[in-house]
Amino acid sequence: MRFSNIFKGGKTKYWLVALGIFLCAIILGSVNQISNYTSSDKYCVSCHIHPVQDQNWRLSEHYNNKSGFVTHCVECHLPPKGHGYLPAKLKHGIKDVYGKLFKDSADFDWEAKKTLENAKKYVYEQSCIRCHENLFPVTLSVNGSNAHLQYVNTPQDQKPNCINCHLNVGHYDKSNLHAHNTNFGVTETLAKEVFTEPTKVEKFENFVEKVPETSLSFEMVAIPEGIFEMGSPEKEELRKPDEGPVRKVHLSKFFMGKAEVSWEEYLEFFKATASQGRKEAIINQPVTDAITGPTPPWGAPDQGWGKGTRPAITMSWKSASTYCLWLSKKTGKKYRLPTEAEWEYACRGGTKDPYFFPGSPKSFTSTGLFKKIFGADTTVINSFVAYKENSQSKTREPGSVKANQFGLKNMLGNVAEFCSDYYAPTAYKTASGDVLNNPAGPDSGQEHVIRGGSFKSDAKDVRSAARDFTKTKAWLMTDPQMPKSVWWYSDSNDVGFRVVCEMQ
Amino acid sequence: MEKKNIDRRKFLGAGVLAGATVIGAGALLASCGKEATNASLGLPPILKGAPKGRKLKAGLVGAGNRGTGAAINFISAGPDLEIIAVCDVFQDKIDAIRERFKSFKLEIPEKNCFTGFDGYKKMMAIEELDVVLLATPPRFRPEHFLEAIQNKKHVFMEKPVAVDPVGIRSLIATAKKAEALGLCVVTGTQRRHQEDYIETYKRVKGGAIGRLTSAKAFWNQDHVWFRTREADWDDMTYMVRNWNNFCWLCGDHILDTHIHNIDVINWFMGKTPISAIGNGGRHRRVTGDQYDFFNIDFDYGNGVSSHSYCREIDSCANRTGELVMGTEGYTNCVNTIWDLNGNVKWQFEYPKDENGNAMSQLKIPAYVQEHMHLVHAIRKGEYVNQAEQTALSTLTAIMGRTAAYTGQLVTWEEIMKSDMQLGPKEIKFGPVDMKFEVPIPGTPPNI
Repeated sequence: MRFSNIFKGGKTKYWLVALGIFLCAIILGSVNQISNYTSSDKYCVSCHIHPVQDQNWRLSEHYNNKSGFVTHCVECHLPPKGHGYLPAKLKHGIKDVYGKLFKDSADFDWEAKKTLENAKKYVYEQSCIRCHENLFPVTLSVNGSNAHLQYVNTPQDQKPNCINCHLNVGHYDKSNLHAHNTNFGVTETLAKEVFTEPTKVEKFENFVEKVPETSLSFEMVAIPEGIFEMGSPEKEELRKPDEGPVRKVHLSKFFMGKAEVSWEEYLEFFKATASQGRKEAIINQPVTDAITGPTPPWGAPDQGWGKGTRPAITMSWKSASTYCLWLSKKTGKKYRLPTEAEWEYACRGGTKDPYFFPGSPKSFTSTGLFKKIFGADTTVINSFVAYKENSQSKTREPGSVKANQFGLKNMLGNVAEFCSDYYAPTAYKTASGDVLNNPAGPDSGQEHVIRGGSFKSDAKDVRSAARDFTKTKAWLMTDPQMPKSVWWYSDSNDVGFRVVCEMQ
Repeated sequence: MEKKNIDRRKFLGAGVLAGATVIGAGALLASCGKEATNASLGLPPILKGAPKGRKLKAGLVGAGNRGTGAAINFISAGPDLEIIAVCDVFQDKIDAIRERFKSFKLEIPEKNCFTGFDGYKKMMAIEELDVVLLATPPRFRPEHFLEAIQNKKHVFMEKPVAVDPVGIRSLIATAKKAEALGLCVVTGTQRRHQEDYIETYKRVKGGAIGRLTSAKAFWNQDHVWFRTREADWDDMTYMVRNWNNFCWLCGDHILDTHIHNIDVINWFMGKTPISAIGNGGRHRRVTGDQYDFFNIDFDYGNGVSSHSYCREIDSCANRTGELVMGTEGYTNCVNTIWDLNGNVKWQFEYPKDENGNAMSQLKIPAYVQEHMHLVHAIRKGEYVNQAEQTALSTLTAIMGRTAAYTGQLVTWEEIMKSDMQLGPKEIKFGPVDMKFEVPIPGTPPNI
């Protein structure tokens, strides 16, 4: 009752209401204006100074298309209204202002930001779907249809993201071929000496293998017989349970590739054995005379980073094994993938610490808020390992790192490496006996062991004992072929391999 | 200002109308009571005839026995339905259907008739065509269907809808394209259009036989037909004229005929099987590369399976149909439900003839009912698209066939992703470089 007195006289009340409505309108109007203004392309690029990306956007399908329709920054890089538009805008806005004030955009690693893993943080699935409602336009190709059928038939929690396949639709990338790469490896001709004889190995010492009928040569390192402790002790920082319990392992002497198998090496195999069509891809038996190798890959297996001495990537475990068969046949020696035990023994080079160089995982890792802000002291690890912090999200040439105690390069980092063992998280537990002699892992399984971490890994995952495994289904997720390739992974670009040769 | 007012009035009017529609729809729903409607169960409406409406002009692809039948079924479905174009790889088939239509005093203009393997493309390019009827051997269905949808035609297509997984995936993708464009598709799985099957299904769905525990499906009949090769027929001509005996054209009789029963089991089960294992063989056929009989166990998971068997041999015990067992009874899927003691719990009431006796079948044949449904969907805007459902049943049959041919256990996942594609790479008249060995499962014993 007392409040109503304030408005007595009637007219004041109406004025106040009118003023309220007026103010509300102004505020709402300006919020809307601000929101619209701060969502314009012009406003975006006022902070996001990335002329190359602006240019790539203009060259992309989202700008340069038949209909003349232009898709603007926020239509992909923010979720649609009703799907967390304002919170996302606020989140990105704060980050952008911080970046604008304290960082120089020229220092940003734009190549790294272009990768799928990073792009997923800035591109919203809901935004794709808001415009692209029809997954089956009449013009869709057979491969497109197969891929979209698979997408709609995949349970929601396992569905790939649109950009798993359509990564470059918003920003053009000329190195990204979206077709069967039938010329792959063919144009690389090496005007070098062609070897006629493989290297004869009479003594147990380092040698340079020469592959007959090719110009291919590579260094092999003699790894002496020995006993070592495999796995990580429970007190090791940032370890995982599958790395234990520690067990004693005896290994016979063997030779191991000084570096990961390079594109140069792998392409010789590809050229010699590549099969034309998919039907020729029959399962190889070691006894068969002619070796059938990979089919032409889809897109660019080297990711446009270059080939040469960079490690070969994206080939399947089967491809890597077939490479070893081919190499054995060519040289008359016995080449194969290393066992997991051989790999760790060779990596450790006699050390028992988390790395084969001084330092602790906790001091190197960049996980945790403190490390994220102030960075980690990485001088030592930088000189031995190509990993997340120094790789610019690409593979590197082996020349850029120092070797370990045995003289092997890139055992840790650069690319993770296939081993011949099946993976089991409990593999070390089931082993019995005091000292295991040349263990070869579980008798059966689905996926194989990969070791060493990669250029994408954090320091904690490039420890000598860290274990990982192939993920066949996920690594073939966006392969549009039916059935999927047995030779190439469509969705893995940081796994390679190195060979071992048995002493005969 | 004035304009705005008018707009506002229009808007109000629309609002009131929308409100009224909602209330009306509510009342309509309420009046239906608790019983599920055909539409709510995804079932076709049972019609006495196709509704009136805009004239629909149809073209026929494949003027053989079933194609000609389908064309006649289409024009019998209701008013203002015409066949104005036809294509077939052979001229004599076109002449025959034109003669047939002449006998009904109907003319199919010569300029709208096309022969050869690409005749369908020319026919579907005819703009005034609204509907196409696809009735060739099933090997060609996926490409015909895609061409039809690209030319924005509504489609009626015969079963089976493909002969291999590559064709099935193409067909499903095209089905989704049709759906995006609002083009109606009805398939010739006639049991799904029969009122007796539909009424039985509704009761089973409502729990009349409890939880489903097993099924069997069977199609056993005399051998169908074969053509003896004539002197002037090249390989391709011979195979297409004798298509019912070559797997790459027909898909074998497990697809050609038994698919009806397999489709009914998938329908009643509400899913497709997860794997198949089975056997089959050939004793009596004189041409082609197909089997005389199949015996397949389709595994639907959780211990539920369907025994599926079919045979095409003269002078044997013949029988066609289905049976579904549940925890509280069983049904023949077509018209009767029994309890577990064999007492009839429910029976479909067939219409009575002039003498007041109950007939043994429906008044309107399902072959015509299918077309009524299609025309109803187009004219009333009640969208229908049965292509994917029939593709999945066809793939079920392909999985069974592959299990018998190879002697292996074949899973749904494998067959769905398979790159199996039957037939020569290029479809053209002349010699065909293919071997037609009858499939032999497994390996011979070591002697």
